[in-house]
Amino acid sequence: MTSDRKIKANRANARASIGPKTAQGRARAARNALRHGLSLPVCSDPPLSEEVEALAREIAGTDANAETQELARRVAEAQIDLRRVRYARHQLLSDGLSDPYYESRASAREKVRVLCHLLRPNAPDIPMAALERYLTSTPQGPHKFATILSEEAKQLLALDRYERRALSRRKFAIRAFDEARHHL
Amino acid sequence: MSKRVHSDPKTRSKKSKAMTSASAPRWTLFGQPQLLEGEDAAAYDQLLVRICAAVKPVDIIDEVFVADVVSLEWEVLRWRRLKSSLIRAHGLEALKGFLAEQLDSDFDLYSEHFADYLAKILQENLPEEQVDSAQTLAHECARNEPDADAKVNEVLAGIGLTMDGILRGARAHKAKELVQEYVRREPDAVTLVHELLSGAGVSMDALVADALAKKLDYIERIDRLTTIAESRRNDSLREIDRRRAVLGETLRRSVQEVEDGEFEVIETTPAKGKNAA
Repeated sequence: MTSDRKIKANRANARASIGPKTAQGRARAARNALRHGLSLPVCSDPPLSEEVEALAREIAGTDANAETQELARRVAEAQIDLRRVRYARHQLLSDGLSDPYYESRASAREKVRVLCHLLRPNAPDIPMAALERYLTSTPQGPHKFATILSEEAKQLLALDRYERRALSRRKFAIRAFDEARHHL
Repeated sequence: MSKRVHSDPKTRSKKSKAMTSASAPRWTLFGQPQLLEGEDAAAYDQLLVRICAAVKPVDIIDEVFVADVVSLEWEVLRWRRLKSSLIRAHGLEALKGFLAEQLDSDFDLYSEHFADYLAKILQENLPEEQVDSAQTLAHECARNEPDADAKVNEVLAGIGLTMDGILRGARAHKAKELVQEYVRREPDAVTLVHELLSGAGVSMDALVADALAKKLDYIERIDRLTTIAESRRNDSLREIDRRRAVLGETLRRSVQEVEDGEFEVIETTPAKGKNAA
């Protein structure tokens, strides 16, 4: 059991900690709760903001009035947001496919369970080569891709929601832009 | 598009290169094509060229939709490919299991594999002076010669293996080889597989269906992804259509205005004198 003295010392040490001190540490800690950042508007990211402006200029064309420029900016924002969501999804799939040891969480748990069972005193004798083959086997080819889709289903669903919203925003932004141009 | 990392410039068509260089700055604003490991960048470029040629985008917004249609169509093709290769892989795995089971009743079909597999194990485990006899001993054992059987059993017991395990391994190896030959459509293998299937009263379709029954959730997930990509692709095409209709109407109105401006309405005044008398 932990002594009172030890508990007090731990609490005192914890109070003395004020979190990361270096700029690098603080920057890292600031991203602790960040998953993919897709709920943040694109304008809050300076490089993306620049891309929005560049695309908006292309869409509005030269000699556009203030209203057209604003409508073009909305289209550009939705388009860059859509690109960001699609990139996140692509990254998720790419990371899984390029990981040579990718396997389902259920399969990894099963392997640990088998290993624990084999470490018991009266465990059955299994040839080492067969055990090694079993432990190092991972899904390949289409099985691997299907496993990734299944394992990441929850995250893919969330990304799909973001994509759907971005598509809808872009559709209405384009319609508003076209409408404004139509009346010029 | 000019910054595409996956594309191999040598494999690109001239048409694709021309299009890429002509419109590179604008296409890069829509992002890089999202190709996964093993996907063909040249094929993606070809698809882009074909869709561009069909749609003939008139402005940057049309280009946005074209980029979308290409990307979503690519996705549709990806999911269809995945579904068919998954079905095929499960079918072949089921066939392998079936063959391994069927081979059990006919040792002659895999006796060669058994002898080779056993010889390999014996070579690794016999005393050094007897290593040369491993091949002979394995073949004698395959022919069921009692002395050889006894000797092999003794060696196997010493290394924690059993004759059943060796037979199982040989059957699995033969089944795998047979499936590979069947995929390559080698006549002997095709005939043997069909004989074994009809002998057991099952068809290849039944094997595939059985195997897929356990993996239906995978197939359903892929189907859902395909449907989503298809419906989004169709939405983009509809938007292109809608914009064309608006553009058509605007053009008709402009032409009318131009025509109206060209012609002046001449006021007709009634003629005097001729009929007055």
